[in-house]
Amino acid sequence: MTGPGPGAQAGVGDVAGELRRLLAATTGRPELAATTLDTALFGGGVGLDSLTGTLLLRQVRQRFGVDVAAEDLNLDALATLGTLSAFVCDRVVSDQIVSDRSVNGGA
Amino acid sequence: MSTAGLVKCVVWDLDNTLLRGTYLESLPDRPPADPGLASVAAELGRRGIVHAIATRNPPEAAEYAAQATGCVFVAAECGWGRKSEALARIAAGLDISVDTLAFVDDDPYERAEVGAALPGVRVLSPEDAAEAVGWPEFSPADVTEEARHRAGLYRQRHRRQQAEQAFAGTHEDFLRACQTEVTIAAAGPADVPRLHELSERTSQFNSAGHGLPAESLRALLGAPDTDVMTVRLRDRFADDGLVGGCVINRQDREWTVPLLMMSCRAIGRGVIDSLLTWLSGRAAGHGAAAVQVPCPVSERSVPLRLALARAGFRAAADQAASPGRPVSGRIVFRSDLGAPRPALPDWVTVPGEA
Repeated sequence: MTGPGPGAQAGVGDVAGELRRLLAATTGRPELAATTLDTALFGGGVGLDSLTGTLLLRQVRQRFGVDVAAEDLNLDALATLGTLSAFVCDRVVSDQIVSDRSVNGGA
Repeated sequence: MSTAGLVKCVVWDLDNTLLRGTYLESLPDRPPADPGLASVAAELGRRGIVHAIATRNPPEAAEYAAQATGCVFVAAECGWGRKSEALARIAAGLDISVDTLAFVDDDPYERAEVGAALPGVRVLSPEDAAEAVGWPEFSPADVTEEARHRAGLYRQRHRRQQAEQAFAGTHEDFLRACQTEVTIAAAGPADVPRLHELSERTSQFNSAGHGLPAESLRALLGAPDTDVMTVRLRDRFADDGLVGGCVINRQDREWTVPLLMMSCRAIGRGVIDSLLTWLSGRAAGHGAAAVQVPCPVSERSVPLRLALARAGFRAAADQAASPGRPVSGRIVFRSDLGAPRPALPDWVTVPGEA
């Protein structure tokens, strides 16, 4: 894996911050803006259910252009806020590398 | 397929649509209901289609419209934002897809805005709506007991949601406090119309991705190595009746589930998790090594995949996706029965099984 391309600026921390905001907005629970990276998104942690989980994935796709549901069949990315942040960050960075390369290749 | 486009909820504009006149401009008098559209709404209600309001008026207008038309509205969006956003909120609140909404408005601008933002919504002028009772998307083949009570069930659901917001314990404690009862039982001939209706109305929780004709279901009832199961749900707020079901093929040591479905209304109430837990337990009890559920991979099936993942089902390794190469189509999710399984919650009963 190559390092982040010149256009890649979003770090895991930035992505996690934005995901916290989306979590709070999707669930209507402002306290989720303080969710820690190791908090489970389902079950005892944030307690997402099928509905709020689906809404969150939709928001992620709109905000980051990353379709978690299409790329992660078993939805393991939704284990914790940290795993989801890493998944999104990884896809955002690799997409930018791909698009940087295609720009360079066309020049 | 023709039945895939059934409308579940009609969202009505009020001014010069469901009401004859403009609410705010008519004050202190208030405009009467449009009698033609009010009777269309009543007929659609008898078919199990529910109604909601999206209006640029204060909330009192929605209360007045319910009184004037005699309709039950399961949701009302009163405000000055985009109507497409109002429709999206209505669909999210009812746990249904926006593609199952119809929208009636006299204003061509509003119709164009909703049509552009939400292409799956059936957008109608009041003149169109007057004829809607004759259209197939407003004509479910079977209208069951569950369907006739649907509007009331949505309102009870709203009360349950408010109770949960005020409840301090865990979600599981809340389900217990509601006296939730899930009953899983073999289907009989009397269950066929409702199972058929469910198979057509379910979109998010339907592993087959399509409906199953009543004749096919009837034939499956007596087929060898096949089980057709029903799931019923009730609690202290409401008796939701038959909300889910599945078809099981018991082949050798691999059980396959060609159809697993649940009404969106039952989302978040432990039903699909109970059914999957029961299914794995029963298969293991019969000596099966694995249970497989083929499931479409699309945005619409995400809620079902979340439930499968929670119940320990995994996509086979050779079907996995990689970055930039998303998977689409149908994928087999599989649960190997060697691993320990969670116990069935105590509110689930299975008549005929110990």
